Amino acid sequence: MKLFKLVSLVIVICVSVALPVFAGEMIHVKVNGLVCDFCARALEKVFLKHESVSKISVNLNNGTVDIELKHDHDISDETVSKLITDSGYNVVKIDRAKPIEHAPSPALPVDIND
Amino acid sequence: MLRYTWLFISLFISLFMSDLANARPVSYPGGWTSMAHYSTNLWSWHGHYSPTARNSIGYKVVTDSEYDYTLQSVAYNVLLKRWNRPASQANLYIKSGIGVATDDGRTFRGGSTNAGYSGFSMDWEDRRYFTSYESSVTQLGGYDAISHQSARVGIAPYIGDYGDLHTWIMLQVDQHSTDGPDLVPTVLIRLFKGINLVEFGLSSVGDVTLNWIYRY
Repeated sequence: MKLFKLVSLVIVICVSVALPVFAGEMIHVKVNGLVCDFCARALEKVFLKHESVSKISVNLNNGTVDIELKHDHDISDETVSKLITDSGYNVVKIDRAKPIEHAPSPALPVDIND
Repeated sequence: MLRYTWLFISLFISLFMSDLANARPVSYPGGWTSMAHYSTNLWSWHGHYSPTARNSIGYKVVTDSEYDYTLQSVAYNVLLKRWNRPASQANLYIKSGIGVATDDGRTFRGGSTNAGYSGFSMDWEDRRYFTSYESSVTQLGGYDAISHQSARVGIAPYIGDYGDLHTWIMLQVDQHSTDGPDLVPTVLIRLFKGINLVEFGLSSVGDVTLNWIYRY
């Protein structure tokens, strides 16, 4: 029984450590014009159609969109900006956070003002 | 000259029109929307598809028991301009439709006539306040045009995030061509959650209003 608990604990620790390795890059976007659930829904639908996007989270309180990419996938700032603009909103700023398995370099903000 | 003046005025008015159940008449690229409206004298359903965030095309049916007709139309809406700000959004839409109106044969010769409508709507909202105005003109064959205009103000008693139940209290004022200059106020409760928006209203003359918008 002790051995079982020990093995379970090791598995849980290994999984916890390994999970971030498989997480993709995070893109944090500040967006103008996000005022209601229809706006959030629009961005969800548009971004989840993109092959590189695994998850999207819209925060209406902050006017921000967090886009999580699939492992080993990428999407350019220009594409992010175009998808948001084509959905009817304006991009203010794009920040990128590298995945954990890569060296932690500081995120470089990209300003896109139209 | 007078004839052309009236024609110009009619076109100008018709350019600035729409009906209330059609708030947000354009969706996101690839989005479908169903909008149903019921009030004491009128019900309508409008389903549309937005190929871009700038326009939508769809089918709309309106049954007006006061004027005793049903209008089925191909509807086309355009988002003429959107103003996005950090915490607010404003829109200017043009709406139009063309189709066939039918009745029981007492008014329209043969029971049907060509018909169309056009108009505009504008709105401004942030997370707390909402305002809108819209105006529309419906033309049934060679008969007198039916005009309608409506204005709204609203306030959200609390602010929720995406996925929460959002509640709005709204006051709407309507003016129909049949009522002359009389304005009819209606108090509405808007409940908004995810992809569903439902409104319940009661006017000063006892008319009930129900609106439901579903976007997917």
